[in-house]
Amino acid sequence: MGILPEIQNVANQRIVEVLVSKLRRRQLVGSRQTAIETVLVLRQVVAKARFSNIEQLIQIIKAVGRRLVQAQPKGVYPSPVYSFPVHSIGLLNASAFVSLPYPEHTVGNTVRKVLHHVREEYHAVSRAGPSTQTQKSSFLISKFVSQGQPRKQTLAAPKSEARTTSLRENDPDDPDSFAKGLKPVLMEAIQDVLDELETVYDNVSKSARDHIHSDEIVLTIGHSKTVESFLKAAAHYRNYTVIVAESAPSFGGHEMARSLSSAGISTFLVPDSSIYALMSRVNKCILGAHAILANGGMFAITGSLLAVSAAQAHSTPVVVCAGQFKLTPLWNLYHEYGALDFADPSSVLGFEEGSLVDKVDVVNPYFDYVGPELINVYITNDGDHPPSSVYRLIKESYDDEDHEL
Amino acid sequence: MLCPKVPVNMTVPSAAGILHPAQALKSTSALPATIPEDPSGSLSQDGFDVYASYQRILENEDIATPLAAILALTELIEHSTAGTMFELVKELHDAAEVLKNRTTNSISLNAGTELFIAFVTLFPHESDSFADLKTELVKQGQKYAAEALTYRSKISELALDFIKDDSVILTHSYSRVVMQTLLRAHKQKRISVYVTEARPRGLGVKTYEALTAAGIPCTMVLDSAVAYVMDMVDFILVGSEAVVESGGLINAVGSNQIAIISKAFKKPFYALAESYKFHRLFPLSQYDLPTHTDDILSFPRHAQRLSPVLAARPSVAPSTSSNPVLPRQLAIRRSESSASSSQRAMTPEQILRNPKVDYTMPDLISLVFSDVGILTPEGVSQYLVGMFAG
Repeated sequence: MGILPEIQNVANQRIVEVLVSKLRRRQLVGSRQTAIETVLVLRQVVAKARFSNIEQLIQIIKAVGRRLVQAQPKGVYPSPVYSFPVHSIGLLNASAFVSLPYPEHTVGNTVRKVLHHVREEYHAVSRAGPSTQTQKSSFLISKFVSQGQPRKQTLAAPKSEARTTSLRENDPDDPDSFAKGLKPVLMEAIQDVLDELETVYDNVSKSARDHIHSDEIVLTIGHSKTVESFLKAAAHYRNYTVIVAESAPSFGGHEMARSLSSAGISTFLVPDSSIYALMSRVNKCILGAHAILANGGMFAITGSLLAVSAAQAHSTPVVVCAGQFKLTPLWNLYHEYGALDFADPSSVLGFEEGSLVDKVDVVNPYFDYVGPELINVYITNDGDHPPSSVYRLIKESYDDEDHEL
Repeated sequence: MLCPKVPVNMTVPSAAGILHPAQALKSTSALPATIPEDPSGSLSQDGFDVYASYQRILENEDIATPLAAILALTELIEHSTAGTMFELVKELHDAAEVLKNRTTNSISLNAGTELFIAFVTLFPHESDSFADLKTELVKQGQKYAAEALTYRSKISELALDFIKDDSVILTHSYSRVVMQTLLRAHKQKRISVYVTEARPRGLGVKTYEALTAAGIPCTMVLDSAVAYVMDMVDFILVGSEAVVESGGLINAVGSNQIAIISKAFKKPFYALAESYKFHRLFPLSQYDLPTHTDDILSFPRHAQRLSPVLAARPSVAPSTSSNPVLPRQLAIRRSESSASSSQRAMTPEQILRNPKVDYTMPDLISLVFSDVGILTPEGVSQYLVGMFAG
């Protein structure tokens, strides 16, 4: 599809390039941090953008979004046709492998969220002012099916009553008037997104007290900041124990155990192999997620599927703490390989074992795919939801046309 | 809900009192005093045969039954002499009733008629006169049908990502949307397909022939061998007659069986359904379906069914309801086998006593692919509620 040159130029702006290189070099650690940086870049882009109708603005944002998503360090997995052993990511010949398009989801999610807010603001404003669109909006049957009866459309709060200026799109005399009229509203909307991201940990932890009871034993794996703040918040009110699995070979669990015990929570650090053995003593499993998929399943740090399967065998509830920015409208298309990304295999089989290295395929996946039937509830900054209503959250947070950026 | 259903052959009281104020043009509130003799009941007031029109539209292979119903109703509006909305909707309801009575399996047909009637009544329309409104409705109906013909390719595009290279797919019977998806996938990826025979209609043979002609490696599987083959399969792809509010699927008999087996083997089960097949039914079991009658899979009752051989044996008690059925059925089989020992097949009467469609519960279905998007079974109800509720 033809991209206008000015849109292309915007996508190549300096701020976008800075973020792109940060992403590529994996200098941004943590999904929330990535999301915040993306919103800041988008805020700059919208502030400087020149557009005379809403479509152009949407194209600009989408172009920036595409650029950012493509900049992700691509996870690679061996395609079924070729079977080269994976020794080390650094030595890979990229052409021999199929690369996956979406390892880091939060960038795409944030762009979609911003687009959703932009459209919402635009519709609210254009409805309040004298509308320039034809009133005889189509009553197509297909629209009836996908959107239901139209009275549902009027849910945008009429907060723009004070706005008396009319928005004229594509005004030939003053091409910037549309942009000038709309920008303040858009800035507010983007600020809302940013505020939501900054208060994620606080909002998720709000209900911590109700989920954890005194003298309970809770199991967690790896180091998720959301889970960490959740557990620390509960510790203010309850006395309980946490078992942390160390999640080799990245050993994120060590950091988590250190941090929790310094907050005064009684913590046990255990190897991953003892998860099943200890599960009969565990009251609930609290895990973090990397991305929540459209069917209610999730990608989470490797070892999660192990913990969740053990929990299912013991009928232990599984609770996942994640911010809503991790909701992604994508599906798990990689059935066998839940892994999107691979970590360095030398931490599993080091190069000291020289005689083995070229005889053995070493795979060190970073993520697991956990199906929706194995999870009991998602605790998000916007309330608690079962996996079966994730589709509704996605419908509310994102627009259908943005699923493919 | 909307208008009370009135049988076609009764004269409707004159609607003069409820004339829409803005309709000076169309003042045909006085209906003809005599209604033409119509034994089949399918002629409307002005002699428009909606069932004939429906059948004619169905001759086009590409048009599914719900779409044909919508188009038939659209033609009805074209020929209608109704002067008010009330009359028009009543005519639509009557026509839908006619179509339903004259079709044996009316589930997907009902989905189409209900969608169209809901659209006509619940969607706000702005028109200057009733005649304009009717023209607009006819136009919308035709536009929708034209657009709906693109839904199958939309669905096949959505499903494409889920079909991986070297997949082995199991499908059931013949479905146009599954065919289109498989042919689309074949252009880019290598797939092999198992298709069940789908007795008694044997539509699986049609699928087999079409796939083989397109160069896709395909093997027919006995309906009873689905569990045998399930381990070799990567995922299951089926079409649908209707997708119901619970998120479950109504499809040719055998689909439920395949779904249960796929769940046991943990294989994904995908249903492909265009959005006009969403239907506001909520069956709680197989026997809740409108297609289920008491005849289906019932035991024969009469003593006359006993063959003379059996009746002579003193050890077998005369037929009472408490007796086990087995000796009776054994007798039937024996008498039949003596009659036609060369061919062992069900008789047409026996086949008639078997269901034609079955209901698959939503927890067995992984995803529903539709033109409105990829939905989890729970997500289907939101569209139905949006259209029909409140």
